[in-house]
Amino acid sequence: MDGFVTMIYRQIKRFINSRSRFVMSIVNPIIWIIFFGLGWSNVFRFPEAKVIFGGLDYLTYLASGMVAMSIIMSSFMSGMSVIWDKRFGFLKETLVAPASRAEVILGRAFGDSIISVFQGLIILIFMYFITSKINLLGVLPALTYGLILAMCFTSFGLVIALKLSSMEGFQMIINLMTMPLLFLGGIFYPIDSLPEWIKVIAYINPVTYAVDGMRYSLTRVSKFEPIVDVFILSSLAAIMSVLAVRSYNSTTIED
Amino acid sequence: MVGESIMVEKIVKRFRDVTAVDGVSFSVREGEVYGLLGPNGAGKTTTIHILTTLLRPTSGTAYVAGYDVVKESDKVRKEIGIVFQDPSLDDQLTAYDNMYIHGKLYGLKGDVLRSKILEMLDFVDLKDFKYKQVKYFSGGMRRRLEIARSLLHEPHVLFLDEPTIGLDPQTRLKLWEYVRRIKKERNITVFLTTHYMDEAEELCDRISIMDKGKIVAEGSADELKSLVGSEVIYLKFKNEFNKVSGCLEADFIIKCNRVKDNLMEIVVKDATTALPQLFEIINRLNIEVTEVSYKRPTLNEVFISLTGRELRDSLEYETLPQFIRRW
Repeated sequence: MDGFVTMIYRQIKRFINSRSRFVMSIVNPIIWIIFFGLGWSNVFRFPEAKVIFGGLDYLTYLASGMVAMSIIMSSFMSGMSVIWDKRFGFLKETLVAPASRAEVILGRAFGDSIISVFQGLIILIFMYFITSKINLLGVLPALTYGLILAMCFTSFGLVIALKLSSMEGFQMIINLMTMPLLFLGGIFYPIDSLPEWIKVIAYINPVTYAVDGMRYSLTRVSKFEPIVDVFILSSLAAIMSVLAVRSYNSTTIED
Repeated sequence: MVGESIMVEKIVKRFRDVTAVDGVSFSVREGEVYGLLGPNGAGKTTTIHILTTLLRPTSGTAYVAGYDVVKESDKVRKEIGIVFQDPSLDDQLTAYDNMYIHGKLYGLKGDVLRSKILEMLDFVDLKDFKYKQVKYFSGGMRRRLEIARSLLHEPHVLFLDEPTIGLDPQTRLKLWEYVRRIKKERNITVFLTTHYMDEAEELCDRISIMDKGKIVAEGSADELKSLVGSEVIYLKFKNEFNKVSGCLEADFIIKCNRVKDNLMEIVVKDATTALPQLFEIINRLNIEVTEVSYKRPTLNEVFISLTGRELRDSLEYETLPQFIRRW
């Protein structure tokens, strides 16, 4: 367990030491909430709108999605930090250590996931004050969904980052992925309203299940049974983690 | 484990189109400081990366501390400490945290780890900076911290890849001092690469000269220098000196030459043993000598005679890319 715990310690300590990263990852979702959320919530004032959003007003509907979004965004940063570590040599230090590589990479993913969930929590608190229709008992389960979601995307980011050496390349891939992940994950609107062929993508998107689970916990509105959400999300996270371990095991400094 | 800390047999490392290491063999005795001297791009760092399990050799075998670097890489990793050529510290963390994380990754715990960290930070004179973030450290301080970190888990073999590159002269001297102390106080085998001749000469018990992926010569600094042969002694006499019209003669003198009236050049095999004998002759002949100097061949000359190039000229020689890019 040493490698696992050590890497969690390292990632969190590093996060605490760089406040700018923290501020940036909070500011981004808040900007979305203010400019996107408040704007559209006025558009969706008409009575039929509530039907579309499962009986919720738009801002409350958006709350769960915004938490998930901030978690996804900051989870991808985990991959970024691997590229930094490649550049600045710390990756070599962990590669040459006798600690188990599986523990090291999972510890890294888990440490970054905790950070992501912490940021999600701050967004959730913010949302609580501007909507005040959030079920407080659901916060803990919602954050658990968030943690599994974060494991999914930190691992995914790590898999990509371990293969790359340039920040630009990584950023490009992530930018390309984020938009479909966010828009086809039920964050901004229910996936039911999507055309059939796009729905297919939504159904394999882990974001769909995380957001659905969170929405159930926080606002009692959901599309799937919570148990389905947990099962599919956990499976996807497990697959991603295994992929991350495998690519880290085969990492040499040639990559 | 008897005698040999590192054993390398015919290792070859080929990257896509370059052969970085081309059939290198050598062995390093326990407790020895062994140097790999060569220009940039000679394959020194690749050799270190193979020995430290970071790269797999294309062919050949290597043993470090008695373990195969490919098949028993986990065991090798426990036995070695490394200071990489490029910094490998986490500069957003404090010196103490860098040490702490390293210790944890090597399985150290609790009070043992804490006291060991303080001991090692003290060893490299960084105790006062332990809670400072590494990003505020100078190049020399970083290097010292890396040395402290590499010794934290008490390795049997310490690898230093270009330990003094880019450091100012005072810091270099200080690092040399640490290396000598590591050898003396801790009896750790040290394997270092360098392209500075003075560094190899100062620190290493034995040196291999590496060029274009091959080892072209091996031996102590003195042995290597004797490859290019002779040393030259210069004797300067008082102006009125006339007693010896020709030259001095003895069986240890290879060649003797009157450069000027009062200056004589004597070629010998080994100046350190020749000088006392020379003085004896001078005394016997009752000649007044005002100045004695001698010139020994430097490793640079050794390098030139072995490769036909100057060590410092070969800096433009193509180096391997740091990361082979896929994007």
